[in-house]
Amino acid sequence: MILTEQKVGNVNVIEVAGRVDSANAPKLQERAAAIFASGSGAVLLDLAKVEYISSAGFRSLLLLARQSKEVKSPFVLCGLTPKVRQLFDLGGFLDLLPVKATREEGIAAAQ
Amino acid sequence: MRKPSNVVYGFDERPPPLVTVLSGLQHVGAMSMYLLYPVLVARAVNAPPEVAASMVSLTLLAMAVGTLLQDFRFGPVGSGYLCQPIPSVVYLLPSLLAAKSGGLPLVFGMTIAAGLMEMAMSRVLRRLRPIFPPEIVGLVILLVGVATGLVGLRLVFGDSHHHDRSTESVELIEIVVGFITLAIMAGLNIWNRGYLRIFCVLIGMAVGYALAGALGILLPGDMEAIARAPAIALPSFSHVGWSFDPTLLLPFAVASVAATLKVMGNVTTLQKANDADWIRPGMTQVMGGVLADGLGTVVAGGIGAQGLNSSPTVVGLAAASGVLSRLVAVPVAAILAILAFLPKVGAVFYLMPRTVAAAALVFSSTFIIVNGIQVMTSRLLDTRKTVLIGLALLAGLAVDAEPSVLRFFPENWKAVLGTSLVLGTIVGLVLNLIFRMGVMRSQSLSIAPESMEPARIEEFLQESGEQWGARPDVIERAKFNLVQSIETIVESCEPEGPLEVNAIFDEFNVDIRVSYSGPLLELPDKRPTNEEIMETEDGHLRLAGFMLRRYADRVSAVHKAGRSTVTFHFDH
Repeated sequence: MILTEQKVGNVNVIEVAGRVDSANAPKLQERAAAIFASGSGAVLLDLAKVEYISSAGFRSLLLLARQSKEVKSPFVLCGLTPKVRQLFDLGGFLDLLPVKATREEGIAAAQ
Repeated sequence: MRKPSNVVYGFDERPPPLVTVLSGLQHVGAMSMYLLYPVLVARAVNAPPEVAASMVSLTLLAMAVGTLLQDFRFGPVGSGYLCQPIPSVVYLLPSLLAAKSGGLPLVFGMTIAAGLMEMAMSRVLRRLRPIFPPEIVGLVILLVGVATGLVGLRLVFGDSHHHDRSTESVELIEIVVGFITLAIMAGLNIWNRGYLRIFCVLIGMAVGYALAGALGILLPGDMEAIARAPAIALPSFSHVGWSFDPTLLLPFAVASVAATLKVMGNVTTLQKANDADWIRPGMTQVMGGVLADGLGTVVAGGIGAQGLNSSPTVVGLAAASGVLSRLVAVPVAAILAILAFLPKVGAVFYLMPRTVAAAALVFSSTFIIVNGIQVMTSRLLDTRKTVLIGLALLAGLAVDAEPSVLRFFPENWKAVLGTSLVLGTIVGLVLNLIFRMGVMRSQSLSIAPESMEPARIEEFLQESGEQWGARPDVIERAKFNLVQSIETIVESCEPEGPLEVNAIFDEFNVDIRVSYSGPLLELPDKRPTNEEIMETEDGHLRLAGFMLRRYADRVSAVHKAGRSTVTFHFDH
């Protein structure tokens, strides 16, 4: 998994590429959690380059969503490929997590 | 089942009456261009215009019956989807053969036989799948396309199988009209959307017809014949009779196979179009659709009409308009039945200039040819499939290009095998049965828990899937399940020693079996709550088990003598 960060206004865009599984999901969670903890704005996870996400990855996303509510900073996901979207659907996460189609829509929603 | 956003009225919804009637009119418009086919069969036996008009009327009646049978469900009959039948090109080719050797009674008798074969096939569709893998399905479609185009070209340029009503050579001006007709059809289809595109063939035929009239290509008697035809009349059954010739069973059997495959494709397309959550074909509706299609063809042969088959054109029209309600079938059947009593409709089709008819056939063939290529290449092609397609295609084309390849066959066999569709299909089917030998249907992989590499596991299934010619979407689902299950087993079950993976394939099933020494993987059928996922140690593992269970079509897990085996089954 490769994380690439970029700041657009007050939105921290983290582009995630590759596989999100039990081996690396904590790394993604720690990175986003650190942003929330520092109070440096919203987090947008761009998942357009994610090939696979395991249950451990979903657990990390749930924890981040909870933290975003606690610190009152938006947490948004975008760019799901059809394959990854199907996994979100299967696990019942499409209605639980704020998912936008494109990065632009994601940034607009996170601001 | 979830209705997609582009669908206005789903298959089981009730649109307002006006929408229903207007949609029905559109369907009849799109279906009417195929009335050319029974006319071509009538012309092949030099039948008088009245007989051709009767054949068109009776074909319209058969279409009305076939529409109701197909679009509703009567017990096991019918798909319940809007994919009503038309006079089909798959039956045109053998019908022309039958017309040549035994006249119209042989066409009708063999059409009944073909319909009965299709009905029989509908009951054993699942078992037939290994015999008709996508490369064979695509090959049959491609050969139907080539044969259709050739029928069109022969209408203009003639050959030993000349089917035209006249024997005089074609004039240059007629060829020009044909090219203009073809250009209109192609132009409307390529550079337009909506109705102009949907009705491009019908518009092209109408413009070509008018142009032929303006240029004096239509004989003076032609227009008089149309004018002379009564406004309303009962269809005549004077030409109807039935005979049977076993030597023609083969081309009609191939046609009924092609018809079956087309129904399967059409019903599946409409299932997809009606359900945003579609995963795989619902076989009950597919089998009902094939049964109705065969029954429609039996009715057609029985009353003296050409064989019918569910039309991809009407499926495309329904999908494009977003009105997929089966209630549209009611006005469709009613309008078709009314048209059956208007003999001028048949006369108009009978007197259509041959180059205009040829343009319609050539234009339609382009889509069939490309559709066949797409189906053939929808799965990855290994050496076996490449050789099969190449040899079968070559055999099919060879009989048209060089009929002497069959010189050692008896005369009556030559007539049957001398069709590209029949010979190509037979060569393909035989090669498929031979080449199936030696294909490993089961692949194994041993995985050490400490060195679990997801990429290696995915590669294993990808390579196996390619060798089997499995559907890419099924292999993708199996890949997710296998990687996630191994990850979960390693994390939660702490297996001793390697995990043994066994992947088994036959045309209907992909089974992935994972066995290991250790406690059984938990596969709950209820999703853990968000709190459980976040707070408990095994919450996300139970989520994984829940997702694994949902992602596969069936799951089983057994624990015996310290060894656990989890099997994920995927329908194929």
